[in-house]
Amino acid sequence: MPLIIKDEYPTKLFREDGKRLDGRDKHELRPIKMKVGVIHNADGSAYLEWGNNKVYAAVYGPREVHPHHLAKPDRGILRVFYRMATFSVFDRKRPAPGRREKEISMIITDCLEPVLFLELYPGTAFEVFIDVMDADGGTRCASTTVAALALADAGIPMRSLVTSVAIGRIDGELVTDLSGIEDKAGGADLPCAITWFNEEISLLQFDGDMSLDEINQCLLLAKDAMAKIYQIQLETLKNKYITIQQETTGGGQ
Amino acid sequence: MESEELDEEPEDNDEFEDEETTRDLVVPGEVLSEDIANFLPGRGTILNKEKSKIIALNIGLKQIKKNYINVIPLRGFYTPRPGDKIIALVIDKSPVKYICDINAKDVGILKPRNTSKRSKLRVGRGSSHQQEEASTEKYEIGDILIVKVLSADRLNRPELTTVGKYLGKRSNGIVISIDPPKIPRVIGRNGSMIKILKNLANCNVFVTQNGRIWLKGDDIAHERLLIDAIRKIEREAHTVGLTDRMSLFIENEKKERGIA
Amino acid sequence: MNIKRIISKIEKNYIIHNLKKEERIDGRGLWEYRNWKIDHDLIASAEGSADVQLGDTHVITGLKYEVGEPFPDVPDEGVCTIMAELLPLASPLFERGPPDEQSIELARVVDRGIRHADCVQTKKLCIKENEAVYILFVDMYVINYAGNLIDAGGVSALVSLISSHVPEGKLVEGNLEWTGKYITGDTIVKELPLVLTYGKIEDMIFLDPNLPEELICEGRMSISVTEDKVTSIQKSGPATFSVDEIKMLCQKSMEIGKKLRKGLDLWQYKVDYK
Repeated sequence: MPLIIKDEYPTKLFREDGKRLDGRDKHELRPIKMKVGVIHNADGSAYLEWGNNKVYAAVYGPREVHPHHLAKPDRGILRVFYRMATFSVFDRKRPAPGRREKEISMIITDCLEPVLFLELYPGTAFEVFIDVMDADGGTRCASTTVAALALADAGIPMRSLVTSVAIGRIDGELVTDLSGIEDKAGGADLPCAITWFNEEISLLQFDGDMSLDEINQCLLLAKDAMAKIYQIQLETLKNKYITIQQETTGGGQ
Repeated sequence: MESEELDEEPEDNDEFEDEETTRDLVVPGEVLSEDIANFLPGRGTILNKEKSKIIALNIGLKQIKKNYINVIPLRGFYTPRPGDKIIALVIDKSPVKYICDINAKDVGILKPRNTSKRSKLRVGRGSSHQQEEASTEKYEIGDILIVKVLSADRLNRPELTTVGKYLGKRSNGIVISIDPPKIPRVIGRNGSMIKILKNLANCNVFVTQNGRIWLKGDDIAHERLLIDAIRKIEREAHTVGLTDRMSLFIENEKKERGIA
Repeated sequence: MNIKRIISKIEKNYIIHNLKKEERIDGRGLWEYRNWKIDHDLIASAEGSADVQLGDTHVITGLKYEVGEPFPDVPDEGVCTIMAELLPLASPLFERGPPDEQSIELARVVDRGIRHADCVQTKKLCIKENEAVYILFVDMYVINYAGNLIDAGGVSALVSLISSHVPEGKLVEGNLEWTGKYITGDTIVKELPLVLTYGKIEDMIFLDPNLPEELICEGRMSISVTEDKVTSIQKSGPATFSVDEIKMLCQKSMEIGKKLRKGLDLWQYKVDYK
């Protein structure tokens, strides 16, 4: 039987005043909050709230590979496991991982690998577990962003961080950072991620129909947005230590 | 109370207290310097592809030593090096070897021949002959051993030994784990920090390179205090004035908790 | 070899030696809980949720609903089903894959404590007898494992139910429609059962085992209580308990349960949804 409140999409994605349905301007990001060191058992961990998205990431490694046949003798391997909680979406999701989750796990793995020095850790694995507790559009971007933070928190040598965002088109206009409704009801969606050490794209997907010009514009808008999100990642990593420095010079214990 | 110091590790002197270590926090990918004419990439850093910038690889403190720019990492995992003294936990055994958890990416291997204690016997009356008798220690799964790393490389599991001063099985006390990069801070420059911990908290402490610390105090109250103190050092390793603050902390806590 | 964590002998001896003196490494007494930290209704996509930390053990639980046909033997009652997943991110001891014994035990013990306590008012979850009832899914996810998932899970399931806001539906000519109102926790929940878990090592018993204690425990006992009744018991592990010990634990559970219920003040997590 269907749910009582239907998952219906509004016909118009812009308000009378020109703002988006959640009050944002076309290229405004949703509020983003990040924290590191949130899962004590893990070697590194991070938590991210991005709009209504709530994502945990934890890193374990380098550690032995299970099953053993996946180990590579000359380098380490990176494995990313992206999962969504049953209650993270409007229509309860089946607990077992589905095809979408497996696909996203794969593209995030490919996205993060360029910043790691896997050849230094032969025969072992780095495992990144991403669990989405609440989803509202752009979960793969949120997941990539928080996973990069967790890797840095683990003290694993990295060429740089990785940042991700989705640009899309709703009601004919290009906008930055699609929310859940905009993602579902909108026209086109381009999630991407940048590795800052070479300023190149390491994650790229696209669904919809866009002219070449629109695609170029998207990539420009993405770079802009990712630079802003990158600042938040940097602050989060440093704040963990800076706040402690401030506490101790404040003349306390 | 016997003092069990870690032998001096000159290269691992507490870098956190070094003058050349700044309080500049850096993160992976951060540009440390573009002056490659005058500076070289040191520990924890790398040159970018165009060889025009020095980039940090880890989250840590920036350090400038001579003309090297280094990053003293604040987080990271333990990589075994020959000569390291570490704490191992026996997790499996066979007739030919012990397999040990050493908090590294690989398990460590301890072969029986590396566990023998040699004792000298006098043979004959007044004779200057001495015979050596070798007896191998036998360990069980669950034993905590202080070991030294004999060999370690990228491809093979590290080999360990319990032959040596202070090495071997521990039968009492407790082991806690901290971030391996913070270990030098717990020792302190010339052992200054660990001296404070031992004296003021009335405890035996053995700090090892893989982030594991063995300790034993007069009673559980002292041990709790020592563990809290070590956790505080771990948390505040990157700050200034930590050694003085720790003295104060331990004194105050002793009063608060009502222990001598 | 880091799948099964082997506890060192000296740690085991240390814990036992101090338990004999009624001392625990974290300074607690034998019948004391670690610190509780609770947040509620934090998941926007869920119809109820809880974020519970007991010491370092961290569980996030969400409630979703579906509408379906009732079980034939109870045609006017809704259904509440509880599931648990021990996420691999929570501990190096947890493997990926379908729920294993530990997660099934967690789900079932929490479920039974709630089911027999007149907690979820299943008759209020009926839209039309024989045709349409609410099915509530309470799904617990372990985010960090530091011992005693059961007690943390129990409170998280309860707070999810209390904080719930399920859209109220009615059947109009065979179509399911929204009345515009919500059914909230004060309708769905009546009694507040709490589950208390004890560990046993040799002949020493203590409340709320932390991780090292739990890993060396020979036996465990989980007892669910309301203000005046015991509603479920589960003994696990190979150790045996004497009849006196069991009686003592039931008694202790009532007392500590009362104190905990008062201290947590769970009804504060009810939300008003208009």
